[in-house]
Amino acid sequence: MAREIPYIAAVQEAIRVEMERDPTVVFYGQDVAPSDEDPLVQAFGRERVRVSPISETAEIGMAVGLALAGYRPVVELLMAEFMLVAMNQVVNEAPRLRYMSGGQVKVPAVFKAGYGFTAGWAGQHTGSIYGMFMGFPGLKIALPATPADAKGLMAAAIRDDNPVCYLINYLLVLEHGDVPEGEYVVPFGEAAIRRGGSDVTIVATGWTVGQALAAAETLKSEGIDAEVIDPRTLNPLDTGTILSSVEKTGRLVIADQGTRHGGASAVIASEVAEHGFSSLKAPIAQVTALDVTVPYSEPMEAYVLPNAEKIAGTVRQVLGEAPVAA
Amino acid sequence: MEQLDNDRLVWMFTQMLRIREFEERVKRTFEEHPGVIRGHTHLADGAEASIVGSLAALQPGDQLMATYRCHGYPIALGTDTKSIMAEIYGRKDGLCGGYGGSMHLADPGRGFMGTSGIVGQGIPQATGLAFAAQLRGQSQVVLSFFGDGASKQGAFHESLNLASLWKLPVVYVMENNNYNVATRSEQEDANAAAGQPLSTKAAAYSMPGVTIDGGDPVAVYESVGAAADRARAGEGPTLVESKVYRLSAHGNIIAPPGVPLHYPEHEAITTFGNREEYEAALRGDPVPRFRARLIEQGALDPARADEITQEVRDEMDAAVKFALDDPFPEPEAAARNDYVYA
Amino acid sequence: MWRIRLFEERVAQLKRTLQVHGLIHLSIGGEGVAAAVCRQLRDDDSVYSGHRAHGHAIAKGAPLDRVMAELMGRESGLCHGLGGSMHLVDSEHGFMGATGVVGGNLPLALGTALTQHLEGTDQVTVVFFGDGAVQAGHFNESINLAALWKLPVIFVCENNGMAEFTSRDEHSTIERVSDVVAPYGFERTTVEGSNVPAVYEAFAAFLEAARAGQGPMLLECVTYRRRGHYEGDAEKYRDPLAEQAWAERDPLAQLQRRSLNDGWIDESSATAIEQDAAAEIEEAVRFGRDSPFPDPDSLATLVYAAT
Repeated sequence: MAREIPYIAAVQEAIRVEMERDPTVVFYGQDVAPSDEDPLVQAFGRERVRVSPISETAEIGMAVGLALAGYRPVVELLMAEFMLVAMNQVVNEAPRLRYMSGGQVKVPAVFKAGYGFTAGWAGQHTGSIYGMFMGFPGLKIALPATPADAKGLMAAAIRDDNPVCYLINYLLVLEHGDVPEGEYVVPFGEAAIRRGGSDVTIVATGWTVGQALAAAETLKSEGIDAEVIDPRTLNPLDTGTILSSVEKTGRLVIADQGTRHGGASAVIASEVAEHGFSSLKAPIAQVTALDVTVPYSEPMEAYVLPNAEKIAGTVRQVLGEAPVAA
Repeated sequence: MEQLDNDRLVWMFTQMLRIREFEERVKRTFEEHPGVIRGHTHLADGAEASIVGSLAALQPGDQLMATYRCHGYPIALGTDTKSIMAEIYGRKDGLCGGYGGSMHLADPGRGFMGTSGIVGQGIPQATGLAFAAQLRGQSQVVLSFFGDGASKQGAFHESLNLASLWKLPVVYVMENNNYNVATRSEQEDANAAAGQPLSTKAAAYSMPGVTIDGGDPVAVYESVGAAADRARAGEGPTLVESKVYRLSAHGNIIAPPGVPLHYPEHEAITTFGNREEYEAALRGDPVPRFRARLIEQGALDPARADEITQEVRDEMDAAVKFALDDPFPEPEAAARNDYVYA
Repeated sequence: MWRIRLFEERVAQLKRTLQVHGLIHLSIGGEGVAAAVCRQLRDDDSVYSGHRAHGHAIAKGAPLDRVMAELMGRESGLCHGLGGSMHLVDSEHGFMGATGVVGGNLPLALGTALTQHLEGTDQVTVVFFGDGAVQAGHFNESINLAALWKLPVIFVCENNGMAEFTSRDEHSTIERVSDVVAPYGFERTTVEGSNVPAVYEAFAAFLEAARAGQGPMLLECVTYRRRGHYEGDAEKYRDPLAEQAWAERDPLAQLQRRSLNDGWIDESSATAIEQDAAAEIEEAVRFGRDSPFPDPDSLATLVYAAT
């Protein structure tokens, strides 16, 4: 049974369902349920649902400790950039302890944060920084682009025995979509084909999935049939689905809200360049944010970020329908 | 906390000696078997009384986290010293299969949940273990071991604040050896510079803070034991500043591949030219001091002490031999996906 | 204070009509501290702030029109529209920056204070932060270093008892921030933030010592955050302060009452001050509205400083 609810409600629903199902799931963070009237507090009490001070190193480090002790913490970090305050715990501790112990321990923790706040939240709150996390084996990354995936990927993240950066895109929080009731899990490492097509493959993440679909509509009226793939998780990354698609279409455009360098787009491009070279009829093209700190002023902010128009324009280029910019 | 009878006191002495003899052999490996130990090791010689006194307060189900100076804890907990030495030598039967090395020992089955190689970063993790203990509600306690250097870290501040706010069952044991690598505490700590004990910091967290002689295992046991009792009773955390003196340098020298590694002299001598401080510490060495005290109070017979010493030396010699003979892991074992991901 | 109060109220209106966009945190309730502290500083003294920075910037001398233009994202803004509310900088007047990361500027303030020691000047550094920042690790690291090196930095904590949407007792067992720094031997004092003369005097004493190279100090000002954490915050987590109670905690109303009572000013001067401020703000709004948006092509040139 599915019904339409907003993305942000789907996230909360997943947490609630998993907490009901598994008494070892614990949820805490800054401003999480300050009031005792909050539904999660009402349902699970103040032991399992806590407010913590602004102390990211302790909040994330504690999650590691809880996980080592057999619990499944979900830490609300609010914004991905705040993870940077505790970078050591996120990348140098959580994903490495299992390996260094020779497999003796595991760290099932979920680091939940928002990203992509482009709405004048300015340079330090707006970033799509997950690209750098792809360089830390052991750390999984989920980027839900739909309300159903917001629920399903959160459930999967909580059930996963590894540390997961679960990142919600703030531009999507009020998007409504069909979300199944009850337990619902979307497995990691399985990309979703959002739109079938034969002329070009567009791989898009998070908010840019919607932009890619809008671009596909525009392109359809020009006789261009685009396939849009949403990887859903960057680690594990479903390169199989992407490569099959490129084999069919021969062309790849990647859209991501992060910067061009050190980002998800670069990793995907390099995988296809190496393993799908013989399928390519044109160079791979990337539609990412510019390599600048995101500016505050609205027209500049819009200029920096990818969007449907830029994606459509880039598709035309790889199809040779438009001149390549100097 | 239980009273210490003679058997328990002799046990404490034995564990202290085991740590000392193990660490001596790690150090000797650099001279006797150059190239066998790679990277960076950190020895607990001088801290035995603090380690053993603290662990003596543990009950089954309790847990701890430590720093990269971690050999002493699993030794006292009963982990097989052959496997610890093999881990330090990078062999396949090492405690962590050769994956971690000296700085990353772990024996979760005995409550030793692991370490961090980064100063202070195990403190929030121990705090998380205590959060779990609170949830379980089985009167477990967690010991968080760290050095004086860590108390300048944000991780220390955040963890102690949270633990006191939520009354988590954790005892923060700061082994203050007055040095952070080659820097003296007065050079980097405002309290030390003002001549105050570092336990003063506890006041910022509404937490009791005590400073004790970490060279006296009974004093450590009583202090950590009392703090553990408080924690078990739901009264929250305590900061115990245990004053120790490490008898070796911070670690072996750090050098690029090809340069033979060795243990230099203590930084008191090499950096500060203060041989007298070091010699005084040697004279106050907690291991022979405790042996003499137990003999004097009749808890330990000199012949038995010698016997124990020989047994311990034999045990540690066997550990070295085992580790030297143990093969390396298969190179492909590095790519074990089930160790990267659970 | 009138300039800050009216500016912030106008910004609230402009935010509602989307002429100012993004994440905005207003200083209403904190004007007394901003004014009493910054009024005593010179342009070559450095001030750092947090995300609730408009009042500090204005009090330190940032021109109203350029602050408004920045909030409107215009090229003529203090930061050419690049930074916005949480990233105001006016280096000409010594306002070295706001930040979006709670407590993020504390370590920076230490660095600036250190240069003052190195150069042997009598310049001082002030860093504003809220009670929420005190639990962050970098606070501990900063106070240890500041105390160890006796840096001429004055920490000014506006303790409004709220950190984002939760009250202080959910963040710490210690109510007064000056008690948190007590173990580090800081010169410290706590004053009522709405009592402007008290703030002024307390800060003056610290300032004198800091100019002589002494430090560090902590001035804790107990304030009331009149509005939500940010503009748009429905504040369901709070009981609204009754108007009467607010009048007692409003630094502007208090000072005005006292000034009139003590005869420092008369009614007509008080009104004139308010009206002048209102006119200045309207001029700033006009300036902002008339200013063009920045040229996107200028963006890339500002990523790196030229060598």
